[in-house]
Amino acid sequence: MAPRDKVVPMNDVLAGHGLAKSFGQTVALNGVDISIRAGEAVAIMGPSGSGKSTLLHCLAGIMKPDAGEVHLLGRRIDSMKERERSALRRTRFGFVFQFGQLLPELPAEENVALPLMLGNVSRPDAVRQARQWFVPLGLGGMEGRRPGELSGGQAQRVAIARALVTKPAVVFADEPTGALDQSTGHETMRLLVEATKHNGASLIVVTHDPGVAGWCDRTVEVRDGNLLHSAVSQ
Amino acid sequence: MSLTWRLLRGGGRRGMLSTWLTLGAVVISTGLLLFAVSANVAFSGRADRGAWRNPVQATGQPVAIEAGRIDYVGDRQITVVDLASLGPKAQPPPGMARFPAPGETWLSPALAELARKLPGDQLAGRFSDVTGVLGEAALVHPEELVAVVGHERDAPAMTVSRGDSLRGDISPTKVDSLAGVPSEDAEGYRILALIASVLMVVPLLVFGGAAARLTVARRDQRLAALRLVGATPGQVVRMTVAEAMIVAFAGAVLGTVLYGLAVPLLTRIRIGGGPWFASDLLPGPLVVLGVLVAVPVLVGLSAVVGLRRVVVSPLGVAKRETPPGMRAVRLVALLAVLAVVPMLGTSASVGVVAVVLGLAFLCINLVGPWAVGLIGRITAKRAKRPAKLLAGRRLMDDPRSAWRTVSGVALTGFVAGFLGLLSPGDALAGHVASEQLRLTAPNTAAVADQARERLAKAGVKATVKTEKNLVVTDVRTADLDRARTALDGLVPGRSATSEADDQRFTGQLLDDIATGTIVVLSVSFLVAIASSGITAASSVLDRRQTYALLRLAGTPLEVLDRARRSETLIPLVVMGGGSIAVGVFCASPFMMTSPNVSGAIMLAVCVVVGFAGVVGAGALSRPLLRAVTDDPAPRPD
Ligand SMILES: Nc1ncnc2c1ncn2[C@@H]1O[C@H](COP(=O)(O)OP(=O)(O)OP(=O)(O)O)[C@@H](O)[C@H]1O
Ligand SMILES: [Mg+2]
Repeated sequence: MAPRDKVVPMNDVLAGHGLAKSFGQTVALNGVDISIRAGEAVAIMGPSGSGKSTLLHCLAGIMKPDAGEVHLLGRRIDSMKERERSALRRTRFGFVFQFGQLLPELPAEENVALPLMLGNVSRPDAVRQARQWFVPLGLGGMEGRRPGELSGGQAQRVAIARALVTKPAVVFADEPTGALDQSTGHETMRLLVEATKHNGASLIVVTHDPGVAGWCDRTVEVRDGNLLHSAVSQ
Repeated sequence: MSLTWRLLRGGGRRGMLSTWLTLGAVVISTGLLLFAVSANVAFSGRADRGAWRNPVQATGQPVAIEAGRIDYVGDRQITVVDLASLGPKAQPPPGMARFPAPGETWLSPALAELARKLPGDQLAGRFSDVTGVLGEAALVHPEELVAVVGHERDAPAMTVSRGDSLRGDISPTKVDSLAGVPSEDAEGYRILALIASVLMVVPLLVFGGAAARLTVARRDQRLAALRLVGATPGQVVRMTVAEAMIVAFAGAVLGTVLYGLAVPLLTRIRIGGGPWFASDLLPGPLVVLGVLVAVPVLVGLSAVVGLRRVVVSPLGVAKRETPPGMRAVRLVALLAVLAVVPMLGTSASVGVVAVVLGLAFLCINLVGPWAVGLIGRITAKRAKRPAKLLAGRRLMDDPRSAWRTVSGVALTGFVAGFLGLLSPGDALAGHVASEQLRLTAPNTAAVADQARERLAKAGVKATVKTEKNLVVTDVRTADLDRARTALDGLVPGRSATSEADDQRFTGQLLDDIATGTIVVLSVSFLVAIASSGITAASSVLDRRQTYALLRLAGTPLEVLDRARRSETLIPLVVMGGGSIAVGVFCASPFMMTSPNVSGAIMLAVCVVVGFAGVVGAGALSRPLLRAVTDDPAPRPD
């Protein structure tokens, strides 16, 4: 279970080596190696309970793996203190979850501006930068709406804007379209991949939908805590 | 029903937490509700038990003559009742086995005890032929000093009018029975108790409502999910309400037990010169039954109201929209009520004052959410940092729930502002002579001679002079009770009293108002603090998923915690301060004296304790916030 390859190629933004994680008796990850190149979009697929979310959480510094290492641009992050990892998530990573991530009382533009404000950008600047995301994501005119007044797809696009607004190195998305119908899901996914690429960020997305996976550069499959195979999609 | 039980138990650790919170809230509410109800029953009990000493003029064939006066020993008052039977049909007063025969004296247990303890020439010498002890039914409170003296129907004590010049003087009155009517003082206390319990019950209801909504808040999403899988609205409502009511019933039972255990402590609260009989404060079976039914029903109703939105839309709270603005009409209502206040004078009747107070109270409650929303808008507009922005938007989004967090303290602030200024403190307790006994006499010169003789015989050094219709005796304070005893019965039906004695009733009333104020404020603050803690916790539980996801995305816990704190503190300071100001304003027309120091101190203490309590109770939800955001895979459970 020891890391097999400690050499991190320079064009790998994020790499995990020998990642293992158990919850009591349940082995969620069983020594996974994975690396993501700059600007690459990787889909993680696999049956329910296979360890996809756990892998994502370990890579994103949300969870500490029981064994193995995670490197971001050559820097080891899994051994950092929670405070550092939290700051890292805030500044270097973006997140899109299935739903419920937007603060219902904030208008869309402030939801997007929030990560910038947390990074000490002044409020007017943060809101100005946030607004620039709305038109490209097809959200023109929705700046002042609150999440409850947006459709599911629109809300996910606001979440995408929020994930990208800090210009992160990697965007993590755990079933970002899981709560949407298929055509809205595909549309949202296309926007997610395009916008991430456009910003030069890498994308790691967990999905059950092979069609959605088709938008990505590469698909990896997780089975019972192991990475099965890597397939490059065209 | 079995599904409900599973729902109740299946809520997981956090589900149990909110169930415990609700249970605790219902326990506190029930205990305090019982206290508020029992206090009224207790004052009524006192009024009824004291009624026999307040005779009603006979309309038919009189059966007895009754008269009364107040005597003093030390600084305590003795109620002396003179009775003469007019025939064999005279029923004895409550608490006596038989009608006292002429010459007999019956003493209350406390008086008998005191007479035994003190030297005979200070107290016991006033009572001849002590025959019996008065039962509880004859006494207003257990430490009351009462003497019942039997007379011949034509004895001077039973025939000469007492002029009713002093408090407690009752001229001989022919009566049909010794039932009597509650005295004006007792009625006054009853009204004060009623006002006090209204002041306590209103925040209590707000609190109970918050507690009930807590169960619902916790279940919102689960219920929405149930709706999504196809449970009918009826089923959802029934399940939740049943769940809330099961918890509420358990809480009501526990609260009743807790109150029962607290009764021995509560009986020690001294009002009206003494403590209480336990039976006064122990609620009757009907009251208990009523509470055990009413509390779960109220909680259930509250739950239904809280549930409505979930049932209406299966998406439940996930679908939050911009709240409709609340109109400033609420402010106008408060201003209208406040405009009436200066028109009230000290002469306004208690009823009118109570109504105006109640209205002001209600209006503060109406204005509260509107004002909180306004505060939120200003905060959000001016916010530069994320925490302030979150707090401001949150206040704007749900001013009602933010108001619930602080309303208790704000409304208590109103009461504190009102009562703090009203209680005249020691302003009236100026220096009055206690070393001069005055005795009203028909024939002052002769009585003065007899007085000198009696005092000399008792070995009391005193100078006796006459003043209009008074015989005035100057003695050393240490000799006061011996002089009183020596002069007892000198003029039938009259006590020799000092100026200090005559003011004792006013002093007593002021003490009682102070005691009542402290009781009301303690209760309200307890409720306010508990309620703010519970609302703060439920607001964290409500949004745990979003908080957890924000934290996953790297939002520091401190930012969320600071937002949570500002969310309470900003409205607390503004609304608490505002309510105190309104309370002070409402009290201003009734102020008997200029604002006194002790009232101001009490007010300050209340403010500090209340605010600190709310902040402290809110701090308890910090670990909760940490706990709910520690979950790396937050899901609506
Ligand atoms: N906090 C936890 N406590 C205990 N067991 C956990 C926890 N989180 C995950 N697991 C277990 O670890 C395994 C992997 O879970 P994970 O959430 O990674 O699966 P997944 O592939 O994301 O599934 P899904 O597609 O359903 O989201 C599962 O068996 C799950 O039960
Ligand atoms: Mg998952």
